[in-house]
Amino acid sequence: GTASAVCFGGSMAAPMKNTSAPAGLSFNSTSFQKKSRSKLVSIPGTRPSVQNGQLLVSTGVTSLDYVIGGGLAVGTLLLIEEDRYDSYSRMLLKYFLAEGVVCGHELFVASAWDHPDEILQELPAPILDDVASVTSMEDQAQSCDPDNPESMKIAWRYQNLPKVQTALASSARFGHYYDVSKTMDADILQRSKIHMFFLPEEAHSETGALSPMTEAYASLLKSIHGVIHKEGFDGATPQSKVRNIMRLGLHSLGSTLWGDDLCCREKPTHGHALTTFLYALRGLLRSSLTVAMVTIPSHLIQNRAVMGRITRLSDTAIALESFRGSDRETNPLYKDYHGLLHVRQVPHLNCLVCEVPDSKDLAFKLKRKQFTIEVIHFFFQKKNPFFGFSVSFLPLK
Amino acid sequence: PSIVASHERVAFSVPSYFTTNSVHYSGRCLLKSYIRAALKRDEVVHVLGFEVSEEETRGDLDGSCAERLLFHDGYKDPLGWRKSASFTAHQFNSQDLTRILRQTQQPKAPVLVIDSLSWLLRHHDPVAICRSLQELRRGGAVRTIVGLLHSDLHNTSTVDCVSHLATAVVTLAPTSQGPLAVAKTTKRTKSGKVTQDEELFSIQGDLTVTIHRTVSQAGKKQTEQESSEADPTANLTFNLRLSDTEREAKEKVSLPFVFSQEKKSALLHKGQRSGRILYVPDANDDFDQEDPDDDLDV
Repeated sequence: GTASAVCFGGSMAAPMKNTSAPAGLSFNSTSFQKKSRSKLVSIPGTRPSVQNGQLLVSTGVTSLDYVIGGGLAVGTLLLIEEDRYDSYSRMLLKYFLAEGVVCGHELFVASAWDHPDEILQELPAPILDDVASVTSMEDQAQSCDPDNPESMKIAWRYQNLPKVQTALASSARFGHYYDVSKTMDADILQRSKIHMFFLPEEAHSETGALSPMTEAYASLLKSIHGVIHKEGFDGATPQSKVRNIMRLGLHSLGSTLWGDDLCCREKPTHGHALTTFLYALRGLLRSSLTVAMVTIPSHLIQNRAVMGRITRLSDTAIALESFRGSDRETNPLYKDYHGLLHVRQVPHLNCLVCEVPDSKDLAFKLKRKQFTIEVIHFFFQKKNPFFGFSVSFLPLK
Repeated sequence: PSIVASHERVAFSVPSYFTTNSVHYSGRCLLKSYIRAALKRDEVVHVLGFEVSEEETRGDLDGSCAERLLFHDGYKDPLGWRKSASFTAHQFNSQDLTRILRQTQQPKAPVLVIDSLSWLLRHHDPVAICRSLQELRRGGAVRTIVGLLHSDLHNTSTVDCVSHLATAVVTLAPTSQGPLAVAKTTKRTKSGKVTQDEELFSIQGDLTVTIHRTVSQAGKKQTEQESSEADPTANLTFNLRLSDTEREAKEKVSLPFVFSQEKKSALLHKGQRSGRILYVPDANDDFDQEDPDDDLDV
């Protein structure tokens, strides 16, 4: 007869760790990490990308890092289209800045509405002891008990796998976790060097008749350029200085407070002001060790062509759509989430193919210790007849 | 508590309330009742009036309340054509306003009521108005700014832009029930929390607001109806059902690759352990503990 001997030494179908998934595979089946002995200078808070070797920083939200391809590449611009009341986009900006503080990066915060000090006072406190547990597969291991209604009879090998992979995270401890209910201690904040730009306090400079930019954008650009050059992020200072990254957080560009009537009019008078600014900003970013996050109140912008141009002029672009105030708030489909996240654009950085998330149905939820971004899955409700005249969809967790 | 009387005292920023109304329901009554309530709270109220006259705004106020209501008349000569204006639309900028507001030496910062923002938006760029409001907010000369905006006079983008700046926006609409009207309030806190309320209210003759009822959000939620389970095995020309004995027999069939409990749990929880070999002999196997190589003479 045949002896049934099973040998299992290597990793089989049940993965325990996740890394950024190669395209095409829905489950991560390898914990492979490229070991590169390259001459990449190791800057705290960064790591090389496994796809194309670019230097990445964390956005502060591990799920967001996963969605945009492992992290934010240094020298690129992340555009966030604000939700209606600017609650979650502001939260993401705070996560970004908090991550900068925790990693020891320099910060540059620009705002026209609230003073940057106020934004910095609201940064969430990092959870410095060990990991807030990401929903991982370890949680779902169940004993294979025949009385357990969840245990499967025939497909029992797949018992411990979650039904769908909802949580998106990378395995390496690249990002940190933050507790939203507490604010960051002042002494942690003081350790970082922070530059601020508050529009009402800035002297108005002349742009010259040829520049399509408004005064506000011109002075912001000048200020950013000045800081980058003075602090040596563009390589101006000699090599002896320890390399660091600068994070730019620009709040609510394009709103009326920046002197731009992009949001009020279909045909704005300075139609190219913001686009010129973004073009120049990206040039500055590419030539220095900086990374920028810009939030834009896109729900106020009337002209879709301009919004398209703005998206093209940034590298990574995501949009947040909050359920608050819409009829989706009471929709049972979305009861577990606070809003939808749309990935508008992912950059091709020195490569032909970019890393895109597997699914486009992403929803986010702001929990106290984590900002989770999950894939919404829908499936047929079991009760309804197969040749259904009435079919309802429920999210599958 | 009255819906407009509940304003927060925030240390840094000045809360601003914009009431949007339309031709269907005039928000001016609500504005007047707000002014009255603020005066009763011993606050100084500055009113920039463009649309109604001073007499109408004052109504029948008396005594100390009337003293604390300072009306800046932009109604008689709003653009200064007759050179007899006390306040013109062009004076709506932060420097002039701050000067006007600081004229009265009061211990508390006053409340500024703008009647109406729509009027100002017709004479100024929305960007300039937003900037003036922002400067006023940060200047510290004023504690609360309340503005009336007629939403049907402007395109939605302008209304949205201006509303975006406000801490709270109250949108008014009439109902079919006479004096009652519905007010949708959206409030934004500093921490980013947004609350929305919908209330039915009416204004009495003496300009007090009575809230009748909050329109409950639960009523709007669709109740999920339990659809009756239709049995897919009914009404078929072939039999899909199982009798009890048939079901028992089905359960008893031993499936291939059904392992013993230890083997199953070992496979499932292999985790950190290194490879192990578990051998479970089949029914046909001849499992002999003796080493078959024992009798080899090597």
